[in-house]
Amino acid sequence: MSKSDVVVIGNGFAGLMSALVSADQGKKVTLLSYGAGTFPLNSGVIDVLGYDDSGKAVANPAQAVGAVADEHPYKKIGTQALEESVKFFQDVVAAEGFPYVGSLNEQQWLITGVGTLKPSCLIPESMQGSKCFEASEIVLVGVKGLKDYYVDMVAENLAKELGNDKKYTVVTVDPHYKGARDLTTKDVASWMDTDAGYSDFVSQVKESAGAGKVIVVPQILGLKGNVVWKKIVAELGCPVVETTAMPPSVNGLRLRDVLLSALKKKGITVIENSKAEEAVIEGSKAVAVKAGGEVRLQTYNADKFIVATGGFYSGGITMRDFGEAKEVIFGLPIECDCVEERWVNKQLFSDKKQTFAKTGVRVDATLRGVNESGNVVLQNVYVAGRNLSGYDFCFEHSGNGVALASAYKAAKA
Amino acid sequence: MELEERARDSADNCIACTSCVAVCPVTKANPDYRGPKLVGPAHNRMHFSDESDYEDSLKLCSNCKNCDITCPNGVSVATLNMLERAKYYKAHPEKHTQADQMLSHNFQMADMLKSIPFGRSCANLGMSIGEAMGMMGAMGIAPQRKSPRFATKYFRELYKEIKQPEGLTKEVLFFPGCFIDVNDPEVGVAFVKVMNANGYKVLMDDRFKCCGSPLVVGGYLDEARSHADSNVAVINEYAAKNIPVIACCTSCSLMLKAEYTELFAQEEMAQAAKNVYDAFEFLTILADQGELKKVQVSSDKKFIYHAPCHLRAQGMGMPAVDLLKEIGVNIDSADAGCCGMSGSYGFHKENYETSMKIGSELFDKINASGAHKVVCDCGTCREQIKHGTNAKTTHPIQVLAKAYEQ
Ligand SMILES: Cc1cc2nc3c(=O)[nH]c(=O)nc-3n(C[C@H](O)[C@H](O)[C@H](O)COP(=O)(O)OP(=O)(O)OC[C@H]3O[C@@H](n4cnc5c(N)ncnc54)[C@H](O)[C@@H]3O)c2cc1C
Ligand code: SF4
Ligand code: SF4
Repeated sequence: MSKSDVVVIGNGFAGLMSALVSADQGKKVTLLSYGAGTFPLNSGVIDVLGYDDSGKAVANPAQAVGAVADEHPYKKIGTQALEESVKFFQDVVAAEGFPYVGSLNEQQWLITGVGTLKPSCLIPESMQGSKCFEASEIVLVGVKGLKDYYVDMVAENLAKELGNDKKYTVVTVDPHYKGARDLTTKDVASWMDTDAGYSDFVSQVKESAGAGKVIVVPQILGLKGNVVWKKIVAELGCPVVETTAMPPSVNGLRLRDVLLSALKKKGITVIENSKAEEAVIEGSKAVAVKAGGEVRLQTYNADKFIVATGGFYSGGITMRDFGEAKEVIFGLPIECDCVEERWVNKQLFSDKKQTFAKTGVRVDATLRGVNESGNVVLQNVYVAGRNLSGYDFCFEHSGNGVALASAYKAAKA
Repeated sequence: MELEERARDSADNCIACTSCVAVCPVTKANPDYRGPKLVGPAHNRMHFSDESDYEDSLKLCSNCKNCDITCPNGVSVATLNMLERAKYYKAHPEKHTQADQMLSHNFQMADMLKSIPFGRSCANLGMSIGEAMGMMGAMGIAPQRKSPRFATKYFRELYKEIKQPEGLTKEVLFFPGCFIDVNDPEVGVAFVKVMNANGYKVLMDDRFKCCGSPLVVGGYLDEARSHADSNVAVINEYAAKNIPVIACCTSCSLMLKAEYTELFAQEEMAQAAKNVYDAFEFLTILADQGELKKVQVSSDKKFIYHAPCHLRAQGMGMPAVDLLKEIGVNIDSADAGCCGMSGSYGFHKENYETSMKIGSELFDKINASGAHKVVCDCGTCREQIKHGTNAKTTHPIQVLAKAYEQ
């Protein structure tokens, strides 16, 4: 394997974006991937900051990001890199024909799969819940046999959120499904990708559509970017909005496919099923990582490495014995308040961040790992995404935002 | 000796994230299949004592390994499926069909035909007649397909006629595998040429048996185990002499490198695996050491590459594409997922429709590419591609051998 300029380890959102930004800098990039990243779980929407440190809802993410604590990754990344990263991302997906709406100055609103509203920052056009605000009638579409989507409950909850001065109508579409298993949103989306499925669906909802109305559907509008959404909006003559979904999320898969397509166009080499196991270090620099299948490891040489292995949740950081948290490839320093009484805040949905969630690699403003005295340990190894310490993505709703901004900064460095 | 870490215990790592369900090509194509999470890890954990307790749709899994490639938690999903399937057939041997029997034991047929004068020509003629008369369908084999023909000389015979250059000091042992041996021996011939050009003498060992992949998929696990044991013994014998074993078929190499150990958890198997290489994996190592014969191709003929799932599962990227690109071949990967064939899977009549549906994305890409030939390391993938498109196919080692000739 010939030497790369940059080796990116990890194929979640942070890894794919690190690879794209690096390639955009004219670098020869190899990406080591294992598993599918969190895409199928996170609906492919980009939260930047939903709640501040005190648990208050954030209306303007850009402002709130400026006020985070010193330990927070956003503080190290800085608002300029965050802004540039958002633009970079929006340009990439738009060039792939799958534009994301939103900006750092306001929140977008998503309708969840149970009918509540939830803020996010960058979302695909098909998921703009705000379209409902002006409508006089909301038509909620269920699908016969679809698992985990209870259209009556969605209608009931949405009415609570949006008020009873609107009319709520429920329509159930029959996909004429004859299989032996429960339908998933992905199955229905595949059906919508066929001409026959699409026409069948349209014929069943057309009557309920029209001016002044908004159609709310589960995440079923095809697997290929926004192709089906564009077609159906034009055909029904009113906005159509998808909810978020249970895993595997169709929109998460769409975003992953779109980013992988961009990677291919940039000539980035993706090595599948290739878990990085160890690093080759010379002095204060890494020269290679060894990765591969069960039998033998391949050596991937590079000038620079970006570690986007997803922290505790995805195996980038492990803790065999309590208090012994470890970044598995380079042994980068971990910042962790490893005191048993403070580790877990027993109230899972409490108003405090979880200590375990904040555990991660201690980095400086260049996103390189630093020891306790603040000195960089490996000159050419950068850290991105959920590997970083000092934030609880779940509490503050910042998961993909931190992933994006840190990936951008790490790749630009 | 039994290994401590056993793939069959990996079901406990499953966190039910459904990533495997999202990528399983059979789940997508066939609504009757309940998908990897349910029939593999979940079923394995529920399945306590009764051997007849069975999830019906388990027989629809093709062992293509896309679930394993996608699982973030190291669950050997496909192997769990195969172990469950084997348990079922152990309890219900009568459920094996004639097609299972035939498609899993092609190696027996091949050996038998070799021992009969004109056996192969007659068998090929028989197949043509059988296909024309619609007999394949009656046997449970997809009537739409043309069965691969037996070569008039198997590779094991051709090998004996090849004059390898004198004085080659380095040696490798070739594991031809059934398809190359009996259906496509020219791949083996090309392999010998390439290795000779790089200073290696190619050895053969008649004790090698079918790697057992079709037996595993057919649910004949005990037979597969006996094949594994004898192959592993041979491989370890050569390991002791520092002679690596190389396969050109990626399903064979996956079997020898990973699946034996996953299925049977024996230390000797894990040991043998270390001495087995895919051909282009081995050539890439030579290239990294600066020992690969240098050649530059000037033709601008365009090739499209299909990466077999069983190569992708090996976690080493696409060494054939990288190497061919390096020497100037105009080649690009189709990146269109599974071809749908999965060894003998697509030959079963009841899997035909699923198999062709899965392959449709690849067929479309190939048809749209305008490529001169499709390059692919797997014999049955190449059969599927020929069936689903009008394209010509070749093994990457043949492309390299040709480059060496110029
Ligand atoms: C259920 C759920 C819902 C969420 N919903 C949202 C949401 O709505 N909005 C939002 O913004 N965020 C959401 N998040 C958070 C968000 O998904 C993550 O914070 C973010 O995507 C993390 O990206 P990452 O690339 O750092 O990590 P991951 O996505 O975890 O990717 C890491 C990848 O690296 C691979 N890897 C690990 N070790 C190695 C190795 N040694 N070699 C090679 N590869 C390796 C892993 O297998 C994995 O594929 C959600 C998270 C979860 C779990
Ligand atoms: S081996 Fe292939 S067909 Fe079987 S469950 Fe896994 S992905 Fe699906
Ligand atoms: S991908 Fe792995 S962890 Fe996720 S459901 Fe499948 S087997 Fe379980």
